[in-house]
Amino acid sequence: MHHLVLERWSRGATFLHRRDPRAKIVALLVFLASLATAQRALSELAAALFLLLLGALLWARIPVWAALARAAIVLPFTLVFAVGCWISGDPARGAALAVKSYLSALAVIAMAATTPLPALLRGLELMRAPLFLLNVAQFLYRYLFVISEEAQHMGKAAASRGASVGGLGTGGRRFRAAAGALAVLFARSYGRAQEIHRAMLARGFTGRLQTLTPLRFRAADAAFLAAASLAPALVRIAIERIA
Amino acid sequence: MARRAQRGFDDAKVPLLGVMGAFVFAAQMINFPVGIGTTGHLVGGALLAYTLGPSAAVVTMSAILAIQALVFQDGGILALGPNTINMAVLGVLAAYLPYHLWGSGRSRRLAIFAGGTLSVLVSAALALAELLISGVRISNPVLGVSLALFAASAVLEGAITVAVIEALEKIQPGFVRKPREGRSFALGAAGLAALLLATVGVLFASTSPDGIQRLGEQTGIASHARALLATPLAGYQAAFVHAGWPGKALAGVAGLTLIFGACLLIGRAIARRRSA
Repeated sequence: MHHLVLERWSRGATFLHRRDPRAKIVALLVFLASLATAQRALSELAAALFLLLLGALLWARIPVWAALARAAIVLPFTLVFAVGCWISGDPARGAALAVKSYLSALAVIAMAATTPLPALLRGLELMRAPLFLLNVAQFLYRYLFVISEEAQHMGKAAASRGASVGGLGTGGRRFRAAAGALAVLFARSYGRAQEIHRAMLARGFTGRLQTLTPLRFRAADAAFLAAASLAPALVRIAIERIA
Repeated sequence: MARRAQRGFDDAKVPLLGVMGAFVFAAQMINFPVGIGTTGHLVGGALLAYTLGPSAAVVTMSAILAIQALVFQDGGILALGPNTINMAVLGVLAAYLPYHLWGSGRSRRLAIFAGGTLSVLVSAALALAELLISGVRISNPVLGVSLALFAASAVLEGAITVAVIEALEKIQPGFVRKPREGRSFALGAAGLAALLLATVGVLFASTSPDGIQRLGEQTGIASHARALLATPLAGYQAAFVHAGWPGKALAGVAGLTLIFGACLLIGRAIARRRSA
């Protein structure tokens, strides 16, 4: 599945990969804030921030073209409204919408491709994000692929029994067949969740997910945090002064 | 919201909500035939609200949106905050209220349908309104077309939710929660009305931002209205329109702090009255 690419990238061991997730989260927030609130000289600022992200991607040895292509996933939705803006006679705002959404997606990729998701969620937990929500997100990510495969298996099983889209008839019957498939998938997921919880209890689950390596905030993390959060802010101030 | 849910749930809910979130993801791969050649899929807020309960559905939908933004670049990180409010919190709430009100009566099917429809409609209308408020100009034909599209997908969500809930009840009736007995009808109805009014109002106000002012002048309450608008930071655009972005951001944060403080005080007051 295509999402595994991001997972593979995040297993690297470059300087950026080894930084504490908390430092990367704060750096990302500063980057997003300086991007999202920008209004003047947006094209120059966007170019500078783009180069900044490009540098980070190269440094982390992430395939740049693939990362650029992934970030474009956000575009279809924003482009609709950007084009709407354009038609309504405000091309600048439309362009700003598209540029901001693309750059923010690229920034998230730069962070997610250098931090495995469990480490990222652990960092958020240490930053006092609600634990319950983070645990749910962790389970969601873990079982996403399992349940998706279950759905694919069901599709294959149906096909091997000779079910075809046309064979079910039209309209209402096909609709009900799809609803039935969803209900079965729901029941199976529910049952699986109960099994998982029993298995976890049997292994001594106390309501907290444990990580194997405790996070430690080193001097290098502090240096990275200072540099990575100052860079976008300084770039923006400099460009707004010149413009 | 998540902290409150945390207090109310036991550990058994963590795997359950996570796996059901994964289910909603996977469910989006199952296509429902709609008319000629087109297909749609489930959004899931309403279905989760009727099976796991509204607060669990809010947490699960929030987790889904967060994973979507972080891992799949779907929805975008900048829109994560508003998306969570629109889809996970207010969408789920809008889905649950009709069920809460009429879920056990004869019009149960209609209530489920209305809930599914409302969940998408409220989310979409709020998203549109937020775009308009943030200054994106959308011409009226484009606005009309997108509203029609949203309405169509909302009706589809309602139909899918009804079909899936009915199929689920055939498999095992225990999956679908019954709305609690002795529920306060008036409170639910007021909540639903307020939600609808707010959504429609926000959408209307954002399409014609000067409408309220014009109304005020016509009815001769302009002076009153101005006094109301001049309450601290209520109309931040007026005072801060010439300030730079730090000013605006500061005004926004200060406004949020004020609202938070007000909510906190009201909450405390209600809690004290309850315990007294």
